[in-house]
Amino acid sequence: MTRRVRIWIFLPALAGLAALLVWGYLGIPGFGDYHGPYGFVLDRLATPLRHMDNVVNATTYDIRGFDTLGEEFILFAAVIGVVMLLRDTDEKPEMRDEVESDLVRVFGTLAVGGAILVGLWLVAFGFVTPGGGFQGGVAIAGGAALVYLVAGYRAFAAFGDEQVLDPIKGVGAGGYVVIGLAALVSGLPYLTNLFSGGAVGTVWSGGSAGFVNWAAGMEVAAANLILYAEFLNQYIVPIARRS
Amino acid sequence: MTWALPLPVVLPLLAAAVATAGDHVLPRRAADAIAVVGAASSFAFALVVMLESERHVQLHWFGGWKPHGDAAIGIAFAADPLGAGMAALATGLVLASVLYSWSFTREGARPYDVLLLCFGGAMAGFSLTGDVFNMFVWFELMGVSAYALAGFQIKELGPLQGAVNFAVTNTVGAYMILMGIALLYARTGALNLAQIGHGLAGHRPDGLVVLALTLLVCGFLVKAAIVPFHLWLADAHAVAPAPVCLLFSGAMVALGLLGVTRCYWTVFEGAFGAEHAHDVRAVLLALGVVTALVGAAMAFLQRHLKRLLAYSTISHMGIVLVGIALLDQKSLGGAADMVLSHGLLKGALFLCSGIVLLRFQDVDELRLHGRGRELPVVGVMYGLGAVALTGLPYVGTYLGHAQIDEGATLDHIEWVQPLLMLAAGISGGAILRSGARVFLGWGPKQDPLLSPEPAESSPEHDASYPALLAVTAVVLALGLVASVVPGLGQRVEHAAGVARDRTAYVDLVLHGIQRPAPARLPFVVEPTATESLLYGTGGLLIAVTLALVGLYRRRLPDAVRAPVGAVLGPPARVAKLVHSGVIGDYVMWITVGTAVVGGVWAILLH
Repeated sequence: MTRRVRIWIFLPALAGLAALLVWGYLGIPGFGDYHGPYGFVLDRLATPLRHMDNVVNATTYDIRGFDTLGEEFILFAAVIGVVMLLRDTDEKPEMRDEVESDLVRVFGTLAVGGAILVGLWLVAFGFVTPGGGFQGGVAIAGGAALVYLVAGYRAFAAFGDEQVLDPIKGVGAGGYVVIGLAALVSGLPYLTNLFSGGAVGTVWSGGSAGFVNWAAGMEVAAANLILYAEFLNQYIVPIARRS
Repeated sequence: MTWALPLPVVLPLLAAAVATAGDHVLPRRAADAIAVVGAASSFAFALVVMLESERHVQLHWFGGWKPHGDAAIGIAFAADPLGAGMAALATGLVLASVLYSWSFTREGARPYDVLLLCFGGAMAGFSLTGDVFNMFVWFELMGVSAYALAGFQIKELGPLQGAVNFAVTNTVGAYMILMGIALLYARTGALNLAQIGHGLAGHRPDGLVVLALTLLVCGFLVKAAIVPFHLWLADAHAVAPAPVCLLFSGAMVALGLLGVTRCYWTVFEGAFGAEHAHDVRAVLLALGVVTALVGAAMAFLQRHLKRLLAYSTISHMGIVLVGIALLDQKSLGGAADMVLSHGLLKGALFLCSGIVLLRFQDVDELRLHGRGRELPVVGVMYGLGAVALTGLPYVGTYLGHAQIDEGATLDHIEWVQPLLMLAAGISGGAILRSGARVFLGWGPKQDPLLSPEPAESSPEHDASYPALLAVTAVVLALGLVASVVPGLGQRVEHAAGVARDRTAYVDLVLHGIQRPAPARLPFVVEPTATESLLYGTGGLLIAVTLALVGLYRRRLPDAVRAPVGAVLGPPARVAKLVHSGVIGDYVMWITVGTAVVGGVWAILLH
């Protein structure tokens, strides 16, 4: 099929689909005109029942925590898939560190520490202030990825070691499942929050949701780092081969 | 027993996590054992849930968040017999796949096993959930695992392209589903299936509801490989390892149709059911019949065994969609039975093709001409699987055919039955022809009608043929007897009835009111209608005739060959042209399909 034929079949279909979409979307409520009920119910329940100020975190790690378990495994499977598909480029090149500015090294190193600290804080206090395990995990991995920028490939390689990251990732993902099973073994529904009693606004307020956040944080941080390391390898290996 | 509901999903995921955590320290045997235990426990608990669900729909509110008033707060698994049965089939096939893979592939084994486990957990979750967003989450996990598994043989160009086509088209489908979910949430403020259905029921459907129906149904039809959304399937099957094809054909595509079923009966039936059921039926029925015939014809034009089997899967998904589209309890039961028997039989055929690939490093019908004589057991199994897919009375897919026939008769849509017989006959004939050429050496070594394919290399393995044969034989045997299992017919019909009963579902999920359990179902094999016996026998006759014509058509007199070739040649060339392998074409056809389905429904349903 030539490009021209394809376009001429595609355009009328696209026009028809666009008309359908406009017709359908005219039926959604106006901006700010929310009728609920789901959002209202969640808003009313999260703090009184779970002592969590951040309703988004209460929704994603407790009330709809089972969705997040699935999401966590989507990332888990995606990273495993990448590792499997790129399994033939496992070589670890010897590279000279190319960052020469002391200023970049000094301030960059501070930035690495800062980013990781922010990540840890997002994980730990996700249910009190904006944040959460997934978000914090991404920030932690981002902080570690900064190492490549400020110190070069060799220094980053220590953070991208799969011997270390695979166990962290597995324990994080498995930990989430086990927290759910703990409730089941206690005779309660899966992922029931087992200890929700702490004072609102403190690090203990979320009950099991705190542990769930930590499990997700570990998994997400390790999975993202594996991904960065794999992709960086794809970029570095050809350069190393050329030089 | 509602505590068992999450286990078919979370146990394989836990096994996947443990296998990953211990990747660098566990000995190989221990890691293999973890994968087998994860898959086996998932299957065992899925069976438990299925048996329990026969009496009562099983309900599990995650986190203990029960509904307040009419509003669901948390996520529920609501296992009706249809969904639980699907979960049992999917997890059972995952177990077979893990066992078969044990000696089928070694290189890259750990991530491969982990992905199989994630795939299995996701399929079980999709079957059991009662929440539309949770359904999407499992749909995505299923997709991500499947794309990577399809590309397993990444070193070659083919697998890369097949996996990319698979990923792009199915992501487009997933995006349509997500838009449909957003529209439903905008209208009803709910994600729970029962609550959405309750919210839509009784209101006059407008553009938003019609669009949501279109997007959800077409999104699921991409996964179900229904024409014209089907083009990715043959590419993905052609390149994926055989035990992965078992899961694609046996369970994954059928889950797309389970999605359509849930969508209609639980979510939209209340909005459309009373006056517009026949309009919904007309569109789905047309798609189903066209898919059954196009898939069968395309199967007949292939010489790559896995691609041939893949097109035959498309044809059978068309037949299943017809069963669903009739909107009748009998035929929906038939569709469920067809999913079960087809999944096992087609799965066994793919496993046979895997053994052929390991032995000869090739799955090309013409290049393998007669070489299959070295594998007589595989040849016998291949032939039995092909015959059982034609709908021969009381073998394999027969019960599904008979129940769909019966539903069609009740609805006075009798024209559909001979077409289904024809479809099953053509694709069965294609499989028989390829088997006769490979395992018996019948027919010529050249055939310009069949599309050539590049050769394929098999994965690194330490094959133990007895183990591979044993797994294949068990899967095949279960598929062969599917039509004569006492009580199965009554049970799938009961399952179909429960899946169609929206008010009972809403009462249970939102209000916790359990209907009284049905009387114990009997364990008997019911006699079928005479016409089904005739259609079943006819299917086999068509298959055998076409297989022989495919092999020996040069011996036919010219007076017969020339006009038939003149009539069938041009459409065959067009069909091959459309199945181009170009991803842009695939997305174009998805757009066309969605616009046409949505356009027709916009006119009919509004």
